[in-house]
Amino acid sequence: MLQCIFLLSDSGEVMVEKQTTAHRVDRAICGWFWDYVLAHAAGDASKVLQVVVSPTHYLFQVCRNGVTFLACTQVEMPPLMAIEFLSRVADVLTDYLGDLNEDIIKDNFVLVYQILDEMMDNGFPLTTEPNILKDMIIPPNIVSKMLNVVTGKSSNLGNKLPDATASYVPWRTTVIKDASNEVYVNIVEELDACVNREGALVKCEAYGKIQVNSSLPGVPELTLSFANPTIINDVRFHPCVRFRPWESSQILSFVPPDGQFDLMSYRVKKLKTTPIYVKPQLTSDSGNCRVNVMVGIRNDPGKPIDSITVQFPLPPLIASADLTANYGTVDILADQTCLWTIGQIPKDKAPSLSGNLRLEEGLTHLHTFPTFQVKFRIMGVALSGLQFDKLEVKNTPSAPYKGFRAQTRAGRYEVRS
Amino acid sequence: MAPTVPSPAKSASPSQPSGKSEVTDLKQQLRQLAGSRAPDADDQRRDVFKRVISCMTAGIDVSAAFGEMVLCSATSDVVLKKMCYLYVGVHARNHPDLALLTINFLQRDCRDQDPTIRGLALRSLCSLRVPNLVEYLVAPLATGLKDPSAYVRMIAAVGAAKLYHIAATSCLDAELPAALKALMLSDPDAQVSFHSTNNDEIVLQLSSTHYLCIYLNCLICNCRIKEFSEWAQCLVLELASKFLPSDNNEIFDIMNLLEDRLQHANGAVVLATIKVFLHLTMSMTDVHQQVYERIKAPLLTLVGAGSPEQSYSVLCHLHLLVMRAPMLFSSDYKRFYCQFSDPSYVKKLKLEMLTAIANESNTYEIVTELCEYAGNVDVPIARESIRAVGKIALQQYDVNAIVDRLLQFLEMDRDYVTAETLVLVKDLLRKYPQWSHDCIAVVGNISSKNIQEPKGKAALIWMLGEYSQDMHDAPYILESLVENWEEEHSPEVRLHLLTAVMKCFFKRPPETQMALGATLAAGLSDTHQDVHDRALFYYRLLQYDPAVAERVVNPPKQAVSVFADTQSSEIKDRIFDEFNSLSVVYQKPSYMFTDKEHRGPFEYSEDLSNLTVGAETSEKVISAQRYQENDNDLLLSTSDKEDIGTAASNGSASTYNAPSDLIGPSLLSSQTPSETSLINPGGPTYSSQSNFSLDDLLGLGVPEAPAAPPAPALTLNSKPVLDPGTFQKKWGQLALSLSQECSLSPQGAASLMNPQSLIRHMQSNYIQCIASGGQPPNYKFFFYAQKDGATAFFLVECIVNTASAKAQVKIKADDGTAAEAFSALFQSALSNFGLS
Repeated sequence: MLQCIFLLSDSGEVMVEKQTTAHRVDRAICGWFWDYVLAHAAGDASKVLQVVVSPTHYLFQVCRNGVTFLACTQVEMPPLMAIEFLSRVADVLTDYLGDLNEDIIKDNFVLVYQILDEMMDNGFPLTTEPNILKDMIIPPNIVSKMLNVVTGKSSNLGNKLPDATASYVPWRTTVIKDASNEVYVNIVEELDACVNREGALVKCEAYGKIQVNSSLPGVPELTLSFANPTIINDVRFHPCVRFRPWESSQILSFVPPDGQFDLMSYRVKKLKTTPIYVKPQLTSDSGNCRVNVMVGIRNDPGKPIDSITVQFPLPPLIASADLTANYGTVDILADQTCLWTIGQIPKDKAPSLSGNLRLEEGLTHLHTFPTFQVKFRIMGVALSGLQFDKLEVKNTPSAPYKGFRAQTRAGRYEVRS
Repeated sequence: MAPTVPSPAKSASPSQPSGKSEVTDLKQQLRQLAGSRAPDADDQRRDVFKRVISCMTAGIDVSAAFGEMVLCSATSDVVLKKMCYLYVGVHARNHPDLALLTINFLQRDCRDQDPTIRGLALRSLCSLRVPNLVEYLVAPLATGLKDPSAYVRMIAAVGAAKLYHIAATSCLDAELPAALKALMLSDPDAQVSFHSTNNDEIVLQLSSTHYLCIYLNCLICNCRIKEFSEWAQCLVLELASKFLPSDNNEIFDIMNLLEDRLQHANGAVVLATIKVFLHLTMSMTDVHQQVYERIKAPLLTLVGAGSPEQSYSVLCHLHLLVMRAPMLFSSDYKRFYCQFSDPSYVKKLKLEMLTAIANESNTYEIVTELCEYAGNVDVPIARESIRAVGKIALQQYDVNAIVDRLLQFLEMDRDYVTAETLVLVKDLLRKYPQWSHDCIAVVGNISSKNIQEPKGKAALIWMLGEYSQDMHDAPYILESLVENWEEEHSPEVRLHLLTAVMKCFFKRPPETQMALGATLAAGLSDTHQDVHDRALFYYRLLQYDPAVAERVVNPPKQAVSVFADTQSSEIKDRIFDEFNSLSVVYQKPSYMFTDKEHRGPFEYSEDLSNLTVGAETSEKVISAQRYQENDNDLLLSTSDKEDIGTAASNGSASTYNAPSDLIGPSLLSSQTPSETSLINPGGPTYSSQSNFSLDDLLGLGVPEAPAAPPAPALTLNSKPVLDPGTFQKKWGQLALSLSQECSLSPQGAASLMNPQSLIRHMQSNYIQCIASGGQPPNYKFFFYAQKDGATAFFLVECIVNTASAKAQVKIKADDGTAAEAFSALFQSALSNFGLS
């Protein structure tokens, strides 16, 4: 059980304090935690371990956009439950407030208290489904709309209790008004890859998510099938997905919640190639290090690859760096990393970055070689090759509009040198 | 919101100076608004309430405005009510008398038409937690449990748990548990049903593991669990992992029903399910292996796909599993490759896993990968990876390639890489002396001046001494090192230098004699006690007889076959039992970092003997305190220590002790016969057969009783003292004296519902328990006893299987001759269990 939840700003100041059990947690714990953060991560809470032992409590923390969600307990409990819950709180607040940062929390602290009150009671999670919460506590944007347009009276509390607490599908309110009768299905994949010093692909795999944005009236029944479900290695489902149809014939059958949600996440391992190549070369002698990085298309996915960037930390003990590229822009950032923004690869030439690093006095060779982190984005393609077969919608009064999209980004794509 | 507080406050009332008067100002405004019926009064109140609460959050004491807040609370505006409830909830405990004021309006709200308000009011009422207001709470709660709205019923169910913590008796008097039980089994709303279960104490009060089993059955078998919210699923699964199915078919049924939970989007559910699987199959080795295979994919996906926060926790669990069954993960080694962007604590875990899963088939790839990390910018990780390479080398039979890689590290010419590598080469040579030629050739080229780190330097010096016959210029290097004796700050290096010069002297006397003299002289005048003593020791040894000295310093060495493991397998098992808890993240079993008071809700049974106050507890309280202090020293600050000290000595209950106090009486009563005979040793009881052995143990001796069996020759000390550390040491040192199987009485086996009952029974026979654990039907105990009037201890490992009513007993004894007698005694005590 979580005994207390604090929301801290990025300077360690307590923005919200919510005690949930009879045991009162003194807020001095936040001071202790912040000292810990200062000592271990120079004030950046996102770099601290997620589970911290203080002299009196065990602390779980999740950091989002500079807001630290800190939960305290003195009891043994599943750590993942606490962390999942805090992440959920962060998600719900982001959903409610549109964004998450210190100012927004401070401006809406009454709302935050109300939400926390419904999400946790007596140390255990209570209601965490966003759509049920929204029935109980109306999000501020709708409130302000109503406030300005209709009446002068304001209340950000739902006037009636949601039916869904007793509903068979807790993620969906049974009655959905003003649905626009459309559903969008979106594959988002991230490609993780690691290329070693010799240029060989050490590992390459894709993590994918199927995001659904549904705005359908009534209680619709959806079935989604894939053209090639066998390539998927491991899956995780939103609670709305029925397990048996998937087991027997790899069909996703579900009653969707209203709005945006992740229907399924999956993993495809052992991909053979990456769409682009990045070939770094570093040679050093007598105090100088020649850098040369080539980027090009290896395996054309059929759609344009854009937002390509290559980033690498400058090795330590560098006196000066002189790096230029024949295409795109090169910036040396404040944290001693070099960011090469390429965008799209031009048709007529292969982008390359070259230059010279001057080592500090007394050093002849470079000892640590940087790792190059590559980012890119491809719209319209799922690199794993996963494809939808069809989406059927039943139980709706009229045929809804169905939209499909796909996109692949580089996740953790690293090239060692 | 804190910093924004003063400014709006000031702008709202510029006449107020600021600071302390802020609260007075708010008070005044509240008072004005209290009776106001102006149309915009609610909006104004809302503004003021907001300011009050923001002050509260900023840490300003606004309790002075309590009365005014309550006055203003009579409103129909729900947001105002919520803010007021929040305020009241925070301050009520410090102002119990004022809190009385709020009861009225809360009770009225509990009867409101709107279920939201009924629910909120009930929640606030239960959150006041003022003991003397409990009487006002019971009635609304009872009504709440029968409310037509599921929302209110759910809040009432949670409220009942809160009430239980402040006033257990009134909760029971009002027969709330019965109402909860009804909700739990039959409420149409899964959330309500769950929250009525979640009151573990109340569930216990309904007496019952038996009951819980039925409930779990009903839950799992009716697939009701799938209707629960994900958090409820986590907790029910946690309960299910304590659940003991009656036969294997049931186990498979449960696993089949739960299998799809492994694909839940919530990582906590996945992990809880894994725990259930692992625990259910503990006794079925082959299925257990299959479970590992099955859970591998979900875990690996969780690691990769979740947020960084989640992936660390999952990785810790994965680490535990990898350490237990490295073979199963050996084909997935690529999953544990470190990414540049991983935080270093993640990299460290991954390195450990890579080390563990290395085998013949993947060593080459893993070592290649590890070698790449050696050039990492992150120095601690570079070090770790070199150590990892070394560890793999020490595990493997085919070390050829690895040795080459290690030697390549030395050519990288970076001081920390060289230092780490030297330490490893040293360890390798200790295990594989046959590699000395290759290594020595490379090591010989390293200039000792380039090595700054004591550990690396010490390793180099050790090799210089050990292999001085093969290294051409070893004596001269050593000599130059001795010349710099003064500049050598680390005593460890100086000690090694002393020994190395000695070794070198016996191998190449003419070249080293000069250096030896200088070394001994330097050592004798050293300020460090150890160095000085060792130098003196060598000096006198040489004076006494150089031949003896050579035997001491340069004995023929055997290759080390296994290096000591840092964590005992027992601790690892213990952590495994606590899967899906913090123990895994800390890599320590919970007893090492939690204090008794705060163990998880399901761990209470272990503390019973220490916390319940029996008639004879003076001795126990002491031991309890000792345990607690041990625990505390590990973690807690002094203030907490005092708390627990008092808690232990009067056995009183802070909130979290409640469960143990609850079960206490029932356990005590089941033990009464043997206890009473213990407490009144003066009043011998000749009548009952079963008491004879007890009396004998007490040293009363009843030779005149005709039916008495011959008194055992061995009597035990009634209050032996042995701390866990010593126990562990002894257990490791002593050889096994006796190992046998004996049987329990069927009644005993049946009454062994938890380890505590047997522990108490054995205590009454002067056999103390030092550790216990296990899931039914298998329990494991470690006992110890001491021979009366002697220092010799008997250590016992006893594995009880309640299903077969058998116990495996292993006895180790300081005094091996008495082991037989003790074994007889132990067995008779064990077979009496449940009969008395």
